[in-house]
Amino acid sequence: MNRKMRSLHRSLGAIVAIFVLMLASTGILLNHTSDLNLDKRYLTWGWIMAHYGIGTVEPDVVYLLDSHTISQFGSQIFIDATPATQSHVPVLGGIVIDDLMVLATQDALLLFTPEGEFIEQMGESVGVPSSIQNIGLFHGDPVVQTRNGQWRSDFMLDQWEQLSMDGVGWSEPQAMPASLEEELGHYFRGKGISVERVILDVHNGHILGKYGIWFADLLGAFLVLISMTGLWLWARRRG
Amino acid sequence: MIKYRYTLRAFVIIGLILSSITVFARGVYQTDQDFLAETFNQAVPKSKVVWVKGELAATITEILGHKYSGLRIRYWQNEQRSVWILEEIGKEKPITFGIVIVGNKIEKIKVLAFRESRGGEIRHPAFTQQFEQAALDKLKLDRHIDGVSGATLSVRAMTDVAILALYLDEFTDENIKD
Repeated sequence: MNRKMRSLHRSLGAIVAIFVLMLASTGILLNHTSDLNLDKRYLTWGWIMAHYGIGTVEPDVVYLLDSHTISQFGSQIFIDATPATQSHVPVLGGIVIDDLMVLATQDALLLFTPEGEFIEQMGESVGVPSSIQNIGLFHGDPVVQTRNGQWRSDFMLDQWEQLSMDGVGWSEPQAMPASLEEELGHYFRGKGISVERVILDVHNGHILGKYGIWFADLLGAFLVLISMTGLWLWARRRG
Repeated sequence: MIKYRYTLRAFVIIGLILSSITVFARGVYQTDQDFLAETFNQAVPKSKVVWVKGELAATITEILGHKYSGLRIRYWQNEQRSVWILEEIGKEKPITFGIVIVGNKIEKIKVLAFRESRGGEIRHPAFTQQFEQAALDKLKLDRHIDGVSGATLSVRAMTDVAILALYLDEFTDENIKD
């Protein structure tokens, strides 16, 4: 019995020692967070970002206009990696005319400078046809496809005539360029996860999510058990 | 036990009614073109634009407390009145306002579209009539506007937009005279 208890005590000691070392080392690091600047250092490793629920950047739609990439995330429209304006409805396409970038939504056109600065939104109240489905160019003129047919305008965009046209170059969604995806990733993820946060989560077991609580319970049970086997062995030796 | 069941049902029904009131507060109350047609009695003039730059941009920033999100603002004007359709964020989402100005005073202000989940009370005429005949006084309204409980940010948005429309009306008047 004595030998079995000693063997159990040693095994428990080896298991518990690993976690005590981990708790002690992370505890010491947390005690010196400010000295070591752990709250100002950030981790951006893919797996750790994914673990914290900050996954990949997924735009709703992307259009390439000249040298600019237009993307929409929810109601936010980006020109390249800069937030440009908001739209409560999806962007359906985009064109470039003269010195304007024009994006189309179902009920309005959004105008931008070549540098990507938002100019204004033009809707039905200034003559833009409603129920837009796509936007394109026909011999350099802006054209919109609506539920009621095709309409053509000029660079002023405030006078539209209904025409039936063949050979319109319609705007089509594109894939997000990889380099921009990374830049937008920085915008959405911020600096990343602070080293302090990761160490704290390792220290209290939260890094394992819901299993962390059970793991801490198990470690607690091991500590109780090792104390009891130790006391038992100590009592037997004295006896 | 039966009594408790009825009480629970009553709470659920009241909750559903209250939540539906909040949902119904969102929406487009009048389209821009309908507002213009109504204001100009179907004879809507061609729109004009004012470019937001230089001193005007700085003053607009002072009025709104932030930069205006756009390089130009469109408006409609005939001999009597000017109409401004402006958007301003209440808490999180833009509210669309239609403002009619006659003789440098607000004739009418109306919420055309409300997208926030709270604060929709500002659309009621009982609230908007406070703005009628309001004029500009050193980048403020010449009167106090009573707030609405639970709609502080929407009230602020409407007040800022009313000041902005009055200022833009004065600005365009002066520039036309010049």
